[in-house]
Amino acid sequence: MNVAAIARPLSRPRIGTWLLVGLPIAALCLFFLHPLATVLWRSVTDAHGHVTAANYLRLFDDPGLPRAALHSLSIGLGTTLVTVAFGLCLAMALHRSRLPGKPLIRGVLLLPMLAPSLVIGLGLVCLLGRNGLIHRLTGLPTDIYGFWGLLIANTIYSLPQVVIVLSAALERTPSRHYDAAASLGAGAFRQFLDVTLPRLRFAMVAAAFLVFTETLTDFGSAVVVGGNYRVLAMEIYSEVVGQMDFGMGATLGVLLLLPALLSVALGRMARRRQDAGEGVVGQPLVPAKQPARDIALGAASVIALLPMLAVVATVAYVSLVRLWPYDPTLTIAHYLDMPEGYGPVATSLGVSFAAALGGIALVFALAAGLRSLPPHWARPLQFLATLPAAVPGMVLGLGYVLAFNHGPLSTWLYGSAAIVAACSFYHYHAQAFLTMQAGMRQVPGALEDVVSSLGGRTRHVLRDAILPFAAPATIAGFFYLFMRSMVTLSGVIFLVTPDLGLASVSVMRLDENGFLAQAAAYAMCVVLAGALALGAMRLALYVLKDRRHVA
Amino acid sequence: MHLRIDKLGKRWNGQPVLDGVTFAAGASDFVCLLGPSGCGKTTLLRIVAGLTPADTGTVWLDGRDIGALPASERRMGLVFQSYSLFPDRDAAANVAYPLRLKGRRGAEVTRRVGELLDLVGLADQGTKYPGELSGGQQQRVALARALATEPELLLLDEPLSALDPGLRSQLRTDIRALQRSLGIPTIMVTHDRNEALSMADTIICLREGRIEQAGTPRDLYERPRSRFVADFIGRANLLPTSFVRDALPGFLERRPPGGDGTFELCLRPEDLVIHADPRGEATIEDVTFLGNHARAALAWRGRRLIAELPGHCTLSRGETVAIDATRGAWVCA
Repeated sequence: MNVAAIARPLSRPRIGTWLLVGLPIAALCLFFLHPLATVLWRSVTDAHGHVTAANYLRLFDDPGLPRAALHSLSIGLGTTLVTVAFGLCLAMALHRSRLPGKPLIRGVLLLPMLAPSLVIGLGLVCLLGRNGLIHRLTGLPTDIYGFWGLLIANTIYSLPQVVIVLSAALERTPSRHYDAAASLGAGAFRQFLDVTLPRLRFAMVAAAFLVFTETLTDFGSAVVVGGNYRVLAMEIYSEVVGQMDFGMGATLGVLLLLPALLSVALGRMARRRQDAGEGVVGQPLVPAKQPARDIALGAASVIALLPMLAVVATVAYVSLVRLWPYDPTLTIAHYLDMPEGYGPVATSLGVSFAAALGGIALVFALAAGLRSLPPHWARPLQFLATLPAAVPGMVLGLGYVLAFNHGPLSTWLYGSAAIVAACSFYHYHAQAFLTMQAGMRQVPGALEDVVSSLGGRTRHVLRDAILPFAAPATIAGFFYLFMRSMVTLSGVIFLVTPDLGLASVSVMRLDENGFLAQAAAYAMCVVLAGALALGAMRLALYVLKDRRHVA
Repeated sequence: MHLRIDKLGKRWNGQPVLDGVTFAAGASDFVCLLGPSGCGKTTLLRIVAGLTPADTGTVWLDGRDIGALPASERRMGLVFQSYSLFPDRDAAANVAYPLRLKGRRGAEVTRRVGELLDLVGLADQGTKYPGELSGGQQQRVALARALATEPELLLLDEPLSALDPGLRSQLRTDIRALQRSLGIPTIMVTHDRNEALSMADTIICLREGRIEQAGTPRDLYERPRSRFVADFIGRANLLPTSFVRDALPGFLERRPPGGDGTFELCLRPEDLVIHADPRGEATIEDVTFLGNHARAALAWRGRRLIAELPGHCTLSRGETVAIDATRGAWVCA
């Protein structure tokens, strides 16, 4: 009997609810829909505001563009294949093997999430570039720039997310399915084919779309290891920053938006099919003893994780070298005397903190408010809140430049830290919102009703019924936004001004000018800040779990 | 305190959930809203609580129309099936919550919380968190909390459904005793007929948003008005008129007028009188022994009937028996 849950949306929304929903939605319209619409509008108008298809026609004049599109597509497909294959091995190693050292695997997988994709590129260049560590140690003629460099960098960057998606699906498979298969005479490999794979199907599709979009729209690795292998993200960057051709930049942005939208829609469809499966997890699975399987999965894990570790270790090493690659004396000078000062790091920290704090407050209010709206209101708003997942950071950033640097709002917002924080937050709005919403699903509807009937107002419902259950999601969402904002580059690359430097942008600038050691020092500051934030999150969740008496 | 529900209607996505529901409950009545899933009983309770607005109709409390009052201003004590305690507050803090919302502080709150916990038999459990209490104890805390601000009406939404059978009957007795001693009018939603039969002064049996029958538990059990009520409240052998005409003609004179298809005879399993008789027309097909009584499935004139026998009865499968009945009720088919 769960009639209470079904009957919930019947409640007439109160003023408090409309306030809760109103502010976040207004902000979404202003800081997400408005810039996005501006990009679309600029792609179909000329400099004088007349509607024209000229921008799209020009796409065919420039021979570089179809080639860049082809490059983007090849990199996207290649990375997707490699990443999903390795991701499957790692997820299986974590959940279907008796391998020792699983915490180590999980630990290494955290590294790419702490570092901007740019840093992975930087590490690759220092390791395998023409003058890289490998070349200097072995004399081999290494050259990482181009397709293979991008493939490796993007694979390293996307792998952890694929492992997370696939792990979630593996965890949801109850052990009784394996017991049933085994009792019917299915061997280990048959069990993999008949039980594991069918239940992973949709997760793999979702993961594949995730990687494809991410790779297609990634800017960080492209700028560092792309070299002469130009991809679409680079083309946008040079149209806008190099030639100040905003119309063309907007048109390319729309071009990038289409596959991203498509893949997010398809991924969402796949996930819905997956969710239709059973939600009840029975006994946790204890994998049988099978040395052959464990050795194979272990080998694949080493192959996948070693580059990750090597790349980040290389960046750490390079940041401690006096003059890379010529003078390998160790020094901490680059940390003490940073070429652009500590300013960019401080700004990054401040912007990330603002994005996380403001962001989590907004998604909390939105998720809480949507709970008591009738479905015909809640559904479209829900769609709007998750739409940012389909918009590449560069497109959003370009929208911010077009919408806020020259508009009625530009006097307040141009070059401000607030606008950078807003861009970072709205880039990751969907994930933070979904985290918050998942957390709020833990809140029993009965508790909210009790508070209301005992005489509580909306603020009492929020504080006493919702917050105790949603606290873990709130903490996780806050640190997620903080860490993402620290490492994001593609969204904010157009927004920085000479007065407003960010750590990730400093890494890019110094790398472009050949100051690799100094770039590495900034990169390590970002990684360190991310690691500290992660530690703080774990601690906060641990303390909370101890104090909370939620069964 | 007097509650009157007048022609309440509620649609949800165009489907009627409640349709012209009218009833009244007196000063210290215990009313059970009984019905299967989706019959609208919970919606009705939520409308009374002010958690869901009604589309049409009125809710009168002591002659006041309270339809426009939000839940927070209605002074109703609400107890849900489960999970309605604050997990991060101990039992005493849970009970104190509504008092603090009303702005009361200090020793007054402590004293009142003590009284309430004592009332529900948990005087020594105040410092425990919900996670450390059994399901029954949690519901007692929820009850104490609902009573804290002396509500005008107590509303219970399947309060016992999540409990183990043993606990359930104990709490059933306790809630009823508490309600009697406080004299507080109470509405309880349930889909468990035994709960309704044993606790209620009045049972309101709902079906698809309409009141199918309202009355005392005895009324509903012994004189069900429709096939639905007969079936829902207890086991029933429902026999068509044509069958009764041949097999039990004695019942025909009590039959209300109407075509053959309009009424059926409802015979409760204990209404059937069975005795071993080699010339009898019925055969025992199966016997389920249940300790104090036994349930027998009988084949009689091409129909299958359920009869209840005393536990010591030794009739067994395959025996030929004679059937007679004098008690029974005609119900709308």
